[in-house]
Amino acid sequence: MAISPPTGSRTRMLVLVLASVTLVVVGLRDVPVVRDVREGAATVVSPIEGAISTVTSPVRNAWHGIIDYEDLQRENERLQEQVAEAEAADIGQTDAERQLADLSASLNLPFAGDVPQVTARVVAGPRSNFSHAIEIDKGTDDGLVVGMPVVTGGGLVGRVDQATGGTARVELVTDPEFRVGVRLATTGALGTASGQGRGEALTVDSSISPSTPVDAGTGVVTSGVDRSAFPPGVPVGSVSTTRQGPGGLSLELDVDPLVDVDQLSYVTVLQWQAG
Amino acid sequence: MSQRRWVPARAALVVLVAILLQISLVNELRIADAIGDLVLVVVVAAGVTGGADRGAAYGFAAGLAFDLLVDSPFGLTALTYALVGYGVGVVATALQRTSGWWPVAMAAAAGVAQAVLYTSLGILVGVDYPFGDVPAIALALALVGAVLVVPMEHVLWWVHGAPEADRLEVVLR
Repeated sequence: MAISPPTGSRTRMLVLVLASVTLVVVGLRDVPVVRDVREGAATVVSPIEGAISTVTSPVRNAWHGIIDYEDLQRENERLQEQVAEAEAADIGQTDAERQLADLSASLNLPFAGDVPQVTARVVAGPRSNFSHAIEIDKGTDDGLVVGMPVVTGGGLVGRVDQATGGTARVELVTDPEFRVGVRLATTGALGTASGQGRGEALTVDSSISPSTPVDAGTGVVTSGVDRSAFPPGVPVGSVSTTRQGPGGLSLELDVDPLVDVDQLSYVTVLQWQAG
Repeated sequence: MSQRRWVPARAALVVLVAILLQISLVNELRIADAIGDLVLVVVVAAGVTGGADRGAAYGFAAGLAFDLLVDSPFGLTALTYALVGYGVGVVATALQRTSGWWPVAMAAAAGVAQAVLYTSLGILVGVDYPFGDVPAIALALALVGAVLVVPMEHVLWWVHGAPEADRLEVVLR
């Protein structure tokens, strides 16, 4: 019982492999034809996907009810505790909100301020295990352009990496291909944050000397340096751990994203364009 | 003859429905923090029922269509599905078994192979897919493949006519 396919079969397989490799090479070069075809496919499929998603929502709900039951129970208990705490802290919170609004106004933070915004609903999550993108229900008809930053009230979510008339795809901060210039909120030290996959902390290659202490919990925001794809001051995350970078010349930081990208319902697209 | 005329249309329909169900339903049903892959199940079933050529052809075509809708490197899914479909077809033909527990075992193995292949080739072309995610992804792909491959074999028989298993048995007799 030898596992040996016929020669013709091997030849045909070789042709398919060569064709696939060619497509991969072409795709990596971001050829406009491939981009256009992908955008066309997204335009055609999006309404069908939405209809099927609506029809099959009972199946999804039943599945989450079974699989996430313990999580839901814990979440319920946690929310009940939070409600109790929130009721007690109501008065203090009102004061804190007033102070925060005053602070934002005085600092004139672009994140909180004058960049035009488009609010969009998340209509689909990542489509495969190797995808780190979500779909939103706004597109070029609403003024969205590839590259625009996407945020929530909590901070940075990602950026638009494909836009059609009525929908757009958002590359999440957790995408291993995602890069954003950042600075430490405390010292202003600059670095580049990159995604490390779903549920993982971002890694920041910084310019900070290894001997400089950086406390866990230190805030990280977008740097907004010249021609940056992101406006300055958008909260990204907080430092969880630090270690020496390659060669021991600088610090490498792990940064927990502020936004849970698995739990998004609505996002805001900042109509900010680089440079 | 009239049966064969409809094969391409039926095959396209099966692949299309699998892709639409994948992106609108299956991708929301997480198992161990990863998702199953209905399109891969079609590819595996094609390899089991039709051998290496059919597995590779389904893998390439379905992967190419799926590549249009995901943000991963274009062509990578086509390449990995084609390799997995081909491999499943070669093994199924060599073992001469397309029924019983063999398809289930092959689908589970194909899920693991797909997770490892895709991550490795992704890294090779410059995407830093974390290898730490592979066990969870392999588990989800293997489980969904093992559960759905037998019903999917029936779908493929609807597309291509008489089960390849029967033909093999006739030849062996």
